[in-house]
Amino acid sequence: MKDYRWEDLQVGLREQFEVGLCEEMMATFLRLSQDSNPLHHDLSFAHACGHPSPVAFGLLTSAFYSRLVGVHLPGKYALLQGIDIDFVSPAYVGDLLCVSGEVRFLSEAVRRVELKAEIRTSQGRQVSRARIRVGLHHGA
Amino acid sequence: MSDTLSRLQPIFRDVFDDPTLDILPGSDSSTVLGWDSLAHINLVSAIEQEFGIHFALGELEEMRNVGEMTDLIDRKCAAR
Repeated sequence: MKDYRWEDLQVGLREQFEVGLCEEMMATFLRLSQDSNPLHHDLSFAHACGHPSPVAFGLLTSAFYSRLVGVHLPGKYALLQGIDIDFVSPAYVGDLLCVSGEVRFLSEAVRRVELKAEIRTSQGRQVSRARIRVGLHHGA
Repeated sequence: MSDTLSRLQPIFRDVFDDPTLDILPGSDSSTVLGWDSLAHINLVSAIEQEFGIHFALGELEEMRNVGEMTDLIDRKCAAR
C-alpha cells in the first residue's frame, strides 16, 4: 500500500494497477447490491441487447476507483470526498482492466487532491472515466 | 453584479446543486443551505481552479461570506 503524504504529492503523479474481472466478483456484487437486472446475468437477454455476454455492473468496476484511492493514490492516508463517473463502454467477465489515476490539481488551503482517473481494458478500450476528490487525514 | 461575483454564481449553483441559488455579497453559511465544511472545501477548490489562484491556509478565515470571498479573489488576481 502506498502512503503518500501531502508533501509527496505533485501534479502529474500517476499510479495504476490491473485487475481481472471474474464471475465471483459478479456474484458477490449481485448478492451485495441485489441488482438483479438480467443484463448482468442472463446470457440470452444480454445477446438480445447486443452484447456478447452479460455486462459487468458499472458500480462493480468503479469499485476499483476506491482501491485506486485507498491503496495507490494517495493510499493509506486517503479520505474519499467525492467522485464523478462517466460510464463509456461495457466491461465483461474475463476482461483485464487497467485502473489508473493522475493528480490533476492540489489545493493546499483545504488539502484537497483531485485525480483524473480511468479504467481501460487490456485492448485499450475505455470503460469509464472519473474525476475524484480526495482529502488526507490530519497529520499526513 | 461584479465580474467576480458573476463568475462565482455558477460555482455556487454547482457545488450546492441548486440552479436557482442567487448569491449576494452578504451570503454566508447561515443563508446558503448546505454550506458545511465539505461544501466549503468543494467551493475553495472550485474557486482556485476557476480563477487560477491558490489560497493560503490562513486566508480561509478571511472568507466568512461571499463579499469577503470576492475581495480576496480580486486581491489575489491583481497580485499575479
